Amino acid sequence: MAPTDPLEEAYLAHRERLLRFLRARGGGEASEDLLQDLWLRLAAAPDPAAASGLGYMMRAADRLMIDRYRSERQATLREKAWAEAQPGMAEGIAPAPGPERALAARQEVARVERALAELGPRAAAILRRHRIDGLTQRDIAAEFGVSLSTVESDLRRAYAAILAVREGGE
Amino acid sequence: MTTDQPIRDVALAWAMATRAPDFADWEGFAAWLEADASHAAAYDAVQYALEEADAVLAALPEPEPVAANDNPPGWLAGRRGWLGGAIAASLAVALTSVLWLAPGGEKLYRTAPGETQLIALDDGSTVELAGGSTLALEGPRAARLEGGQALFTIRHDAADPFVLNAGGERLVDAGTVFDVRLAGETLDVAVAEGAVIVDPHGEGIRLDPGERAVRAGGRFRLAEIDSEAVGEWRRGRISFEAASLAEIAAELTRATGTRFTSTDTATRLSGSIALDAVRADPQALGPLLAVRVTRAGDGWMIAAK
Repeated sequence: MAPTDPLEEAYLAHRERLLRFLRARGGGEASEDLLQDLWLRLAAAPDPAAASGLGYMMRAADRLMIDRYRSERQATLREKAWAEAQPGMAEGIAPAPGPERALAARQEVARVERALAELGPRAAAILRRHRIDGLTQRDIAAEFGVSLSTVESDLRRAYAAILAVREGGE
Repeated sequence: MTTDQPIRDVALAWAMATRAPDFADWEGFAAWLEADASHAAAYDAVQYALEEADAVLAALPEPEPVAANDNPPGWLAGRRGWLGGAIAASLAVALTSVLWLAPGGEKLYRTAPGETQLIALDDGSTVELAGGSTLALEGPRAARLEGGQALFTIRHDAADPFVLNAGGERLVDAGTVFDVRLAGETLDVAVAEGAVIVDPHGEGIRLDPGERAVRAGGRFRLAEIDSEAVGEWRRGRISFEAASLAEIAAELTRATGTRFTSTDTATRLSGSIALDAVRADPQALGPLLAVRVTRAGDGWMIAAK
């Protein structure tokens, strides 16, 4: 196979570094397979020239691992919910979300809402601009007329509050 | 489930850092992950928790900027002004310079890439802000360059010197026209008239006209510059000295507003470029710098030949 595609060339040049990163990221035995998954994602990127950069590839590798953790975790939660909701029943039927789970979700919303309210309006607004609207910390600093370090410390406080809610809730 | 606090805090710091679009320290991140298997698990748990919270956050009603006692008045006023303007002129706000009043009476100026702005200070001094730059006026005689480049023409007052903060360094004028460029950790100060004292409390380097101090890798290096060339970006020309292609791409983006990228941090070039030619035809860079320029999405990719 003679790589003529610049994206493929870049991928092959960075292959060892990406593999090492996937291993470090907890890929273990599956790292080679994960590297294949990564290549499929890179090959499907809308802008192959941008996707050829090492930074882009590392970010995509990190994203791949975040997505993998999410799907594994949700599979575990589904199995747990199944075992609780349908004891002794045959497999293959997806359990409907029970009233307990809906209640738990609503309680979590209330807890996050309360934690954000305690942060004060600026930190809550900054968190929203960063996480939901996708603004960079620098852009947020300009928009709110505060220093970059203020934005960073507001975000750090907000994140700590969110993590505390989730750790308390599980 | 409780993760050890210190590891979780470091994991959170990495999660915050990797979220920045210009995050580049993947080596450092990988080294931290490799140090202990529990680090990857902690990072995963933090990323998952934050993304789960995003869903909750997105579902909450948008906060109204209402008057509250714990709201700093300056912040509220600035935010209100922006909200009002957003309806009529959201495009103008995005493309032109903006000014907000921050709590401490700080004024923030910001230019889009390719745009410049002249700021007149009360004492007759002026600051010309280059494209893609942010400057905070902390008071009548104090400013902070948060990024980008600016040419300062300062009315000297020995009793009340003008102080500029840039990249953690204090620059004090001694009757001066000087240019400052801050790109990441690289700080470049060049003097056209008068003098500037760099780092007045430490080494106290005095720069006279035609002198230039470049901080890279945490150390200052002195160089010469033609006084006429100081602030030449205002006349549509930029110069590089042993700059990597990635740095040149970032500078060109800031100066022209056209997106240039390069992944090459090894190839270093020196030279001077007339921006008009590049604005008219980005591929003109090819023969000017002896590099390869190819279309990349809505921008251009620069690579070594």
